[in-house]
Amino acid sequence: AAAGFCPCRALLARRGGALRALCGSVRGLAAGPETHFGFETVTEAERREKIYQVFESVAKKYDVMNDSMTLGIHRVWKDILVHKMNPSPGTLLLDVAGGTGDIAFRFINYVRSVRDRQLQRKLKHHQNLSWREISESYQEEKLKSLGDSQVVVCDINKEMLKVGKQKAQCLGYSEGLSWVLGNAEELPFDDDKFDVYTIAFGIRNVTRIDLALQEAYRVLKPGGRFLCLEFSHVSNPLLSRLYDLYSFQVIPVLGEVIAGDWKSYQYLVESIRRFPPQEELKAMIEDAGFFKVDYQNLNSGIVAIHSGFKL
Amino acid sequence: KMAAAGGLRRAGWRLWRGRAVVRWQLYPPQRALRAWAALRSASDEQKKEPFASPPQQPLDPHPGDQQPQEDPQGPRPSYTGQGGQESEDYESEEQLQHRILTAALEFVPEHGWTAEAIAEGAKTLGLSAAAAGMFHSDGSELILHFVSQCNTKLSELLEQEQKLVQLGEAEKKPTDQFLRDAVEARLRMLIPYIEKWPQALSILLLPRNIPSSLQLLTTMIDDIWHYAGDQSTDFNWYTRRAVLTGIYNTTELVMMQDSSPDFEDTWRFLEKRVADAMNMSNTAHQVQSTGEAVVQGLMGAAVTVSNAETSRAVR
Repeated sequence: AAAGFCPCRALLARRGGALRALCGSVRGLAAGPETHFGFETVTEAERREKIYQVFESVAKKYDVMNDSMTLGIHRVWKDILVHKMNPSPGTLLLDVAGGTGDIAFRFINYVRSVRDRQLQRKLKHHQNLSWREISESYQEEKLKSLGDSQVVVCDINKEMLKVGKQKAQCLGYSEGLSWVLGNAEELPFDDDKFDVYTIAFGIRNVTRIDLALQEAYRVLKPGGRFLCLEFSHVSNPLLSRLYDLYSFQVIPVLGEVIAGDWKSYQYLVESIRRFPPQEELKAMIEDAGFFKVDYQNLNSGIVAIHSGFKL
Repeated sequence: KMAAAGGLRRAGWRLWRGRAVVRWQLYPPQRALRAWAALRSASDEQKKEPFASPPQQPLDPHPGDQQPQEDPQGPRPSYTGQGGQESEDYESEEQLQHRILTAALEFVPEHGWTAEAIAEGAKTLGLSAAAAGMFHSDGSELILHFVSQCNTKLSELLEQEQKLVQLGEAEKKPTDQFLRDAVEARLRMLIPYIEKWPQALSILLLPRNIPSSLQLLTTMIDDIWHYAGDQSTDFNWYTRRAVLTGIYNTTELVMMQDSSPDFEDTWRFLEKRVADAMNMSNTAHQVQSTGEAVVQGLMGAAVTVSNAETSRAVR
């Protein structure tokens, strides 16, 4: 579908791919097994390098591009993810590939409002409070407005974390939030630590998805939940064609116009097509050891939320 | 380009799938290993192991370990099967879910029939509060679990009573007394949760829950009539169950807003309703026998008239 619009670019890419395949066969053994980068074939090491560069270059305009590409619907998707999580105060969340902190901020808001409601209910129950008790409850509110909940944002890319930290400062999120540089395939955390592990629009960029899933299993507490929000496979044929048209014709153009970066957004739409569909991802999650694995399609498959439990 | 991409994609994923398959085949032996280890450890002296970490990875003790260390019954039975008191060394997801819901019931008076109560229940079992995500956020499964538990208890109670009667150690109760006692016993199980029960009733009436709650209700009523000795196979079967369902539901509603000591008003209401039902059935019998008598009279009259006609014709 893309070839119609930009034949010269496609030709260049194919020639580049053929050349790379020739050189790759020579040094391929050293650089690791073959994998894909968008519609190209690269080695694993190359892929990691390329993806790092992609996100380094888009970091500053990441949020703006998200809004313009999805017409703001990505906010709804992320809201639905946090609602599905339904975190209670005291939950420890690990948000992997959460660079600019969207999920983390939503989590904090949600937990804060749940905690407020809890405190209100408690106050309503105890009708005859002494003045001391009332003042203590106000103090408690200020100290524990999150009720011991914490979110750790982990990302492999320094630029994305930088943007996220700046956003947090701007929006005024300070407590219960920490930023860690780490690789999803090799998390720098102990076993059995987190209540919930989320990865929103990040697992597509992980080179070895099975390793990332195993790491997720490792760091989750027993009973912990794995949630993955990702672009997925549209089954409706009409919608699928419209979606393809939009993806390959409009999004790279937007990328060039808004962020000055055609290739990164070309990579983005290609990587969406290369990502396994819902059932395959579900099988991979089950392979990693999760139970009660299920997925929920949003917008008839454009995005899917996969959920699994470590039991 | 699309064909080439498609080919590449298929090849790529075949490679990944191959790896994934190999890894999956590794897993079952690992799980069997854990199960075997559990069998051995269960027979050995009790030792408290860190919870649910696979044998390959080092069991490093991390600070701030959230597992409660005092556990008088020994190591907690976990899904991965490391140490367990039960004869089975692992349980299915269903059983684990039942255990979580049972544990959650003690938090219902405080939190209501909500996901919070389920989260607290999961925490007492040593699981993370996120395990409550396995259930619906409005607590329907918790209520249905509770109702089915109560029904099971009621069946066991009635079974025991029946055994006593069969052994001759107790007298067989008259039907109305039996029904009264059965309904009272069942409603008494609600007493610890009576404050939050109206919430539960409203959730049970949600369209999504109606099939399950209706099925639980009908099986319970069926059980009661079965132990009451009902062996009817005609239309009576339906009327009896409909009547008892009506009695049960109305008594339950009366109980919701009863504030008398030990719910005396409710039991008196129940007594009156059961008595009404009995009277109604007697009246129905009378009506039926009267009806039958009338019909027989008419038939006799018809036969007499037709005989008279034929005899007149013959003559």
